[in-house]
Amino acid sequence: MIRVLAVRLAQIPLVLVVVSLTIFAVTRATPGDPVQIMLGMQSSPEAAAAMRREFNLDRPLPVQYVLWVDKLLHGNLGESIRLNQSVTSLLAQTLPVSLKLASAAMLFALCLALPLGVIAALWRNTWLDYLCTGYTVASFAIPNFALALILIYVFSMKLDWLPITGIGSSHSTGLWGAISPFIVPAIALGTLQTAVLTRLLRASMIDVLGQEYVRVARAKGLLPRTVILVHALKNALIPFVTMATIQFGYMIGIQVTIEYIFAIPGVGSAVLNAVINRDFPVIQGFTLVIAAFFLCANIVADLLYAVLDPRIRY
Amino acid sequence: MSLLRVRDLQVSFASDRGLVRAVQGISFDLEQGEILGVVGESGSGKSVASLAIMRMLPQPPARIVASELSLAGEDLLGMSEARARELRGAQMAMVFQDPMRSLNPVLTIGRQLVEVLQRHLGLNRRQALSRAVELLEMVGIPQASRRLSAYPHQFSGGMRQRVMIAIALSCRPKLLIADEATTALDVTIQAQIVELVKRLAHELDIAVIWISHDLGVVAGMCDRVNVIYAGRIVETAKVDDLFHRPSHGYTLGLLGSTPRVDETEQDRLTPIEGLPPDLIDPPTLCPFLPRCKVAVAECRQSMPPTRAFGPLHQASCFAELA
Amino acid sequence: MSTLRLAAGQFLRNRAAAAGLICLLLLCIVVTLAPVIAPYNPIQINLGAKLQPPSATHWFGTDYFGRDVFSRTLYGGQLSLSVGLAVVLFAFTLGVPIGLVSGFVGGRLDNLVMRLTDAFLTFPPLLLAVAIVGLLGPDMRNVVLALGLVQAPVLARMVRGSTLSAREEVYVRAARALGASPLRIMFSEILRNIMSPIVVQLTIVFSAAVVAEASLSFLGLGAPPPQPSWGRDLSDARNYLSDAPWMFLSPSAAIMLCVLSINFVGDGLRDALDPRSWRVRAKPVPPAAPVAVLSEDLA
Repeated sequence: MIRVLAVRLAQIPLVLVVVSLTIFAVTRATPGDPVQIMLGMQSSPEAAAAMRREFNLDRPLPVQYVLWVDKLLHGNLGESIRLNQSVTSLLAQTLPVSLKLASAAMLFALCLALPLGVIAALWRNTWLDYLCTGYTVASFAIPNFALALILIYVFSMKLDWLPITGIGSSHSTGLWGAISPFIVPAIALGTLQTAVLTRLLRASMIDVLGQEYVRVARAKGLLPRTVILVHALKNALIPFVTMATIQFGYMIGIQVTIEYIFAIPGVGSAVLNAVINRDFPVIQGFTLVIAAFFLCANIVADLLYAVLDPRIRY
Repeated sequence: MSLLRVRDLQVSFASDRGLVRAVQGISFDLEQGEILGVVGESGSGKSVASLAIMRMLPQPPARIVASELSLAGEDLLGMSEARARELRGAQMAMVFQDPMRSLNPVLTIGRQLVEVLQRHLGLNRRQALSRAVELLEMVGIPQASRRLSAYPHQFSGGMRQRVMIAIALSCRPKLLIADEATTALDVTIQAQIVELVKRLAHELDIAVIWISHDLGVVAGMCDRVNVIYAGRIVETAKVDDLFHRPSHGYTLGLLGSTPRVDETEQDRLTPIEGLPPDLIDPPTLCPFLPRCKVAVAECRQSMPPTRAFGPLHQASCFAELA
Repeated sequence: MSTLRLAAGQFLRNRAAAAGLICLLLLCIVVTLAPVIAPYNPIQINLGAKLQPPSATHWFGTDYFGRDVFSRTLYGGQLSLSVGLAVVLFAFTLGVPIGLVSGFVGGRLDNLVMRLTDAFLTFPPLLLAVAIVGLLGPDMRNVVLALGLVQAPVLARMVRGSTLSAREEVYVRAARALGASPLRIMFSEILRNIMSPIVVQLTIVFSAAVVAEASLSFLGLGAPPPQPSWGRDLSDARNYLSDAPWMFLSPSAAIMLCVLSINFVGDGLRDALDPRSWRVRAKPVPPAAPVAVLSEDLA
């Protein structure tokens, strides 16, 4: 198992190098001068030049790249051109918020996908199955922001059950106050994951239920719930768990639209603003971190696979 | 009173192309402690019949009908699914063909043994574990107590099949059905497993149905043999009678196509030409007729009746082969 | 009967797939004929008629600027479907050759390509698209470029995988023996045989592109106004959710219809092109009869 981990860790630097080059190239190959945006059209040439020097924008591109990487290796992600703080501190502010949202969405997805997937597999090709998978088909078709709008309309405006603002603000009281602002965004964000995971679990369960060892478990006269939960589900959950982990890693990037709608001060919003304002250090730093996060999620998924499947461990 | 009584068992399946008549009226008895061989080619219905006896065929798509199907006097066909579940693994057990796939890869061997003991015998964990060790030793697995926490992929095929036998026999069933249990194993391992089952069957007084297409194995371990073709028993006899006085064209064909140790190089194997009949549209004459080398005139006129050829020896054949 | 005809038969017998195809074709027709069908000019502002609910004059109501929602949805469809198609073409032209060459040639080139695609695949696609479009400027070409760049690596990976297996097939050896050049083998022989999964993947690319374009427009990074766009209409609708729900219902329904039909078509294609999932038309099953009965009784 250590070997699995070691191999995967060794791959990270290479991928990150390519990733960092790509990010750098994309951000610099763009029109739009951050200094101009920052200082406005009427700035004096001296002020503009000073700012350029401060952010190394006057050096040739390859030099800028090397300088950036050098700072990276020392743990310094740079300073935001637009905001008055380091990229790292901005990250420290926004990442926890995004993670909370992603976790809420994933929790929602897991709570739904597990029973739906199992039910759909056990009663496959009956109306129960069509109900479960029909829901997944619909979930695939609707973009999360459209769903968010519908949910807002129904639950906040018409029924007034759930708030739609309040994440990141400090005047929410009590447990309900802490949780409730997350509910609608989590559902909007998590619905697609629910669909993916339900389908995966259903297919995985159907495959496992057809295996010889399940037939043997039945031949042993074990109770149906033992056969399904212990023999079948344990095997079917392996690809499910790994996919859920990878999806979680992906979510940080997908949730930008949701953060935009609900004014959630997370990573996605920060990147969006940085892109609009040509705030290069933020764009570079954040995208790098997001990519690294996703890589880590992949590695964790591999590790989980080894934990769950003894055939890989020994 | 026989342990297992089967009278006119028929199993059919609904399929896209019509009704598949997999088993068309099988009847036989099995006594306690007897080892009955069931010989036939793939698709002959031998596995389906066993699964039907074990109540492991979901109905639909299967349809099981019999005038009698009972184990130790209890009606197998009419009983509830809950009762069938109690019997399975406890009174009647089955070992399947592929040991590589029969064990759950994510559960330990010990767990897969213990769960049967806990389910049917109500043992607590400690009792079950020590009994599990005894069972593994009984089937000849060395270092049994250490092996309990091992996973199936750490065992060879032969060892896994021994474990399957241990699981099957863990609750002292009255009936053990072995469906091609040694087909997937090496010849030497095969011999070991066969010896093991034979010994345990006699020690524990268990009735065994040994399904195989390998006549050699059947000759070495069985008391009686049923020969199945196209969903029917075409011949049944004590093992010596079957091999010395085969009385059905199919049995003759099988014996002719089996390699023998005492043959010389000049003797050739005679394969049985042709293919088994379509089970959706079963023939009205003897099912083996198209491939039979000893067919007589009557064979083309009507279905051969079941005739006696000796004590416990019957065959559905017009030809006089003895 | 040729395989293609058998596959087509399977596809058409799949009700969802057939429905999806009809729906998609209707959508394409309606959207292409938007200039003919749309009752109003979609960008004409008419503040006197703003925020009106659906009625006989405005089938889907009007938005905040008094524009007819139905017409806007129709024209928005033009944008979404053409972007989808363009992205499919882009991804195909970029991804398939890369995948083919990488899988066929193997070795160091393959490794390099794998690492590069890995790098692209570590970015959540939407974020990458946001970055590219945001930095290059909101322009249709940039949108197509961004979305295509995001989809191409996935396609390339898939094609590479198929090529790797196809490489070992007999027909490749035969072609080589006949003196075919590697280029010909790749783009003629192998490509022809791996088209099925590619086509299925392209439907996925298409629906993903439609949704991604809507997302970008929603965030304000898509086609600039006044071009009607489903995504931007949804963004506008945000502010009038309770006053004018028809503003968000129309584009949402349109997106859903589009994506659903494409997905059904894609699923149907997948099943139709895989002989293992072909279903034979079932014959009626006669009732079970006792044994020793002649087969005539069963008819």
